[in-house]
Amino acid sequence: MNAFLTNVFAGFALGSTYALVALGFVVIYKSTGVINFAQGGLLALGAYLGYTFSNNLAVAFGFAVVLACLSAAVVGASVERLVLRRMVGQPPFAVIMITIGLLFVIDPLITAIWGFDNLPVDNPWNIQTVEVGGLVLGVRDLWTIGLTAAVVVAFFLFFRHTRLGLAMRATAFDPEAALAQGISARRVYATSWAIAAALATLAGITLAAGPGGLSPSIGFIAFAAFPAMILGGLDSPAGAVLGGLAIGLAEALTRGYQDELFSWAGANVSLIVPYLLMIVILLIRPYGLLGTKDVRRI
Amino acid sequence: MTKPHRNLVRDYAQDLRLFGSPLAKTGLALMLVTLVVLPTVVQDDFWLSVLIYSGITAIGAIGLNLLTGYCGQISLGHAFFIGAGAYCAAVVGGDAGLPLPLWLLASAAVGAVLGGLIGPFTLRLRGHYLAIVTLGLIFIGEHLWRNLRGVTGGNNGTSVGAQVTIGPVDLGALEIAGENYSRNQGYFWLVWTLVAIVALLAKNLVRTRPGRALRAVRDHDQAAEVIGVRAGRYKIGAFMVSSAIAAMAGALFGSYQQHVSPDDWTLLLSIQYIAIIIVGGLGTIFGSILGAIFVGALPALIDEYSGVLPGVATEAGGDGFISVFALNQAIFGLLIVLFLVFEPRGLAGIWVRIKAYFKAWPFSY
Amino acid sequence: MRVTTKGALALSLTLVLAACGGAGEDDSGGGGSAGVPGTTAGFDGKTIKLGVLTPLSGTVAVIGQPLTAGNEVWFEALNAKGGIGGKYKVALVQEDTQYKTDLAVQKYNKIKSEVVAFTQVLGTAPTLAVLPQLRTDKMLAAPASLDALWVREDNLLPVGGPYQVQAINAMDYYLSDGGGSKSDKICTMIQDDVYGEAGQQGIDFAAGKYGFTVANTQKFKIGTENYAGQIGALAGAGCQMVFLVATPSDAAKIWGTAAQARFAPQWIGQSPSYTGALAKSAVAPYMQQSVLIVAEGTEWGDNSVPGMKDMVAAATKYASDQEPDYYFAFGYNQARAMTAVLEKAVELGDLSHEGMLKAASRLGKVGFDGLAGDYGYGPAETRNPPRSSTIFGVDPSKPFGLKKVKYNFTSDAAKEFEFKKSDL
Repeated sequence: MNAFLTNVFAGFALGSTYALVALGFVVIYKSTGVINFAQGGLLALGAYLGYTFSNNLAVAFGFAVVLACLSAAVVGASVERLVLRRMVGQPPFAVIMITIGLLFVIDPLITAIWGFDNLPVDNPWNIQTVEVGGLVLGVRDLWTIGLTAAVVVAFFLFFRHTRLGLAMRATAFDPEAALAQGISARRVYATSWAIAAALATLAGITLAAGPGGLSPSIGFIAFAAFPAMILGGLDSPAGAVLGGLAIGLAEALTRGYQDELFSWAGANVSLIVPYLLMIVILLIRPYGLLGTKDVRRI
Repeated sequence: MTKPHRNLVRDYAQDLRLFGSPLAKTGLALMLVTLVVLPTVVQDDFWLSVLIYSGITAIGAIGLNLLTGYCGQISLGHAFFIGAGAYCAAVVGGDAGLPLPLWLLASAAVGAVLGGLIGPFTLRLRGHYLAIVTLGLIFIGEHLWRNLRGVTGGNNGTSVGAQVTIGPVDLGALEIAGENYSRNQGYFWLVWTLVAIVALLAKNLVRTRPGRALRAVRDHDQAAEVIGVRAGRYKIGAFMVSSAIAAMAGALFGSYQQHVSPDDWTLLLSIQYIAIIIVGGLGTIFGSILGAIFVGALPALIDEYSGVLPGVATEAGGDGFISVFALNQAIFGLLIVLFLVFEPRGLAGIWVRIKAYFKAWPFSY
Repeated sequence: MRVTTKGALALSLTLVLAACGGAGEDDSGGGGSAGVPGTTAGFDGKTIKLGVLTPLSGTVAVIGQPLTAGNEVWFEALNAKGGIGGKYKVALVQEDTQYKTDLAVQKYNKIKSEVVAFTQVLGTAPTLAVLPQLRTDKMLAAPASLDALWVREDNLLPVGGPYQVQAINAMDYYLSDGGGSKSDKICTMIQDDVYGEAGQQGIDFAAGKYGFTVANTQKFKIGTENYAGQIGALAGAGCQMVFLVATPSDAAKIWGTAAQARFAPQWIGQSPSYTGALAKSAVAPYMQQSVLIVAEGTEWGDNSVPGMKDMVAAATKYASDQEPDYYFAFGYNQARAMTAVLEKAVELGDLSHEGMLKAASRLGKVGFDGLAGDYGYGPAETRNPPRSSTIFGVDPSKPFGLKKVKYNFTSDAAKEFEFKKSDL
């Protein structure tokens, strides 16, 4: 029972990270219709910025996280302004490729500045643990779950109760009508990229603060978050969070029971469980759990 | 009476002709001559191997262009089919020792079967959803390659012993009229002849009825269904043909490199192929070949001349802040972005514009 | 009209072909005499070029960079004294493989005709990938990997006690001075490829000799991000000792995950699992308590070992920003072994690829001044690698973070390990 609960807890922690990344994807998709393949790059960049603030500039960890999120938001907005603005009207395929191109530019940039080695981020959590009712829980995991929950709540409040949130929802629903109401599409696009970058940074730093440390391959986790986004539905933030948690749980449980139950499926099958789950769900609901069905007219 | 203008076309069949105009005929002759003569002139192993890899990539790119450029199905899973082809060659050509035509066709058959299995997904999913499912295919494929140790050698990789023999002739060690030709020269002829054959086949597919059907499906599949084009059948068919061609490319890759491992068939490879067809021109066969040469030669050029570029670290502990690999990646990414922003129709688009300029000359204003 | 044009075309083509011709045979080393070898691929009469296939980028660069620096510094010191035979300087041609097998094969093909031999091919899997080509090309290469497979290969010049020997000695230490016993739950965690299998082979041999069984084996792919599953399985099996075969990036994550899970068996890591940065990371206290490393040689700066003083002096002179690193020492040792082969080849007057193979088979015993065990070279069938290892503990106050716990010991079981030629 203990083992099961430990795995479930690990699943929630992992799922929180996935939920943050997937939420970032969905924010950008919902307002601009673009799938941002560079989200992993933004995650890594944000994590490294956090490292710089925390280690090199010796800022307190909490502030370092906030500063890193803000700087990443600036990077995200500038990327949108400089590159994606020119792609308005191009076929979606082209825009996907541009974000892939961006990923290919961000990655070497990171290794050129920070190198390939595993970097330890100065943080108050590290590998500490607390004992709760016989279970050993990582402090970092607890904080990850807590921060994610707080951010998700703040996110939904933002979208529901602020003017900018309303503007973003309006632009996502019908850009032309929103423009007619005086909502600046430019601001909305820039804001959505900024928010997505900040979410990715938070995910990246909480990940880097764990036992893994910070290495350039930290961005790969975004590829595992794709299924989360698709599973929940490309344009549904609630779906993204749900999808992220579902994928995280599935992966952690598979990993925990790999030896006992899943050795027939090959080693490390937990790495592809997100994709298998996604495929199964898509076959049943081709637009994801909570996505809106595409109405196609001739 | 003076002769009619060289570009006058009198009937539909003439319009469709591949090498109709005198310019096209000379171009064809030049290409054939280059194909035959180049390896005897350029004997440097390094450049021949670059051209061979480009040729293999061109074959794969033609396959992907059929699927994505002509039929409009975004597939990020191309690397999976290429890998499957390579392992098929290892088994059929290497372990069973069969000759070239057999293992090449066997790989194509395996690719077609796999494509037929994946194809039905296109009936249910579209656009972004299809793209991500094919992305998943790469990861699932990687999992398979790492675990089917008997066939793929697991993480260590496996050597591919497929020999390029057609009957008594061994293309890897040619001897014509007393002259010995190196492995690279033989492979160059083999690969580029196959590029020509595949390009011809693809071009024939594309300029006739199936090609029009594919384009109709790409542009609006529901409308295509309305006018009687069976969209589902063509989507699955496109997947099968594209995967068969990809598997052939993979088989050639494996037999040339003689060693393959699961690390070869990653998302990066799929993205490279998509970049090639974008840079070359979506929906063109010639563009696939141009893109393959361009994108294939670039890393090799950077590699060769990295010593001259400032700031590139070529040695352990050498000065320079960016490694050759990272530089490659960065330039690759920049290339994608620049082409998409400034020339979305790719190199073939540039070529078409040049041709159009001269076609209408002296009235090209 | 058309027929004759085509005919003319065909005729001219054949003429052109005949004129250009094929690749022809390539020259074998144009006649040299003892002491003055003739020019050949990689040798222009003055400078001898050696190839290096190493990860200069990527996660294993943390091993590749210092190891190659070790090669470089040895040859720089040698060149300062005149070079091979006092006459020929040595230059290195380096290519980045990123520890990937396909890149290793490509880069090998790229530089094989520019070099006399390869003084470094880093990685068990890359070496294995390049081996068939080495055989066809009759080329000599020194693997920066300690798999026992290399001992009986004519085309490879291994250095140092193999991984299998390290693993056996590690078990010997654990069962004697390390406070363990045969009835303990002994487990392994290995990288899922040839490198991991080498360590496992050693443990299995030791299990047979000492009479214990391996309770649980966990495998992982290099570069995995999350090790919670494997650590959970080991903890669940109640492992009291775990032998780890990994590379530094992964080892850091593995030990970090174990620390967080409060799982603290006696870890013994194969030599490539460690790097100096680990002793300065958050995992250091856990490592001090639970981790030992089995390797060869001694602490950096330990002047009781003669070779160490010279190496540190050379490092300070030619690579002043080089941090203490036992990979540097390994590269240094490799270069020493390759120098012995070059000297022999110059003596025999033949620096061609085959000449290098011949010279390698004529070598006798090569000593490393205590930095590694003496290696009995010679024809591959009769080679005898060193059978000794050193156990290190983690101590952040020491250079490179390692302190020697048991220096240069050889277990009886290690002496009995037989090296067979594998049918690869």
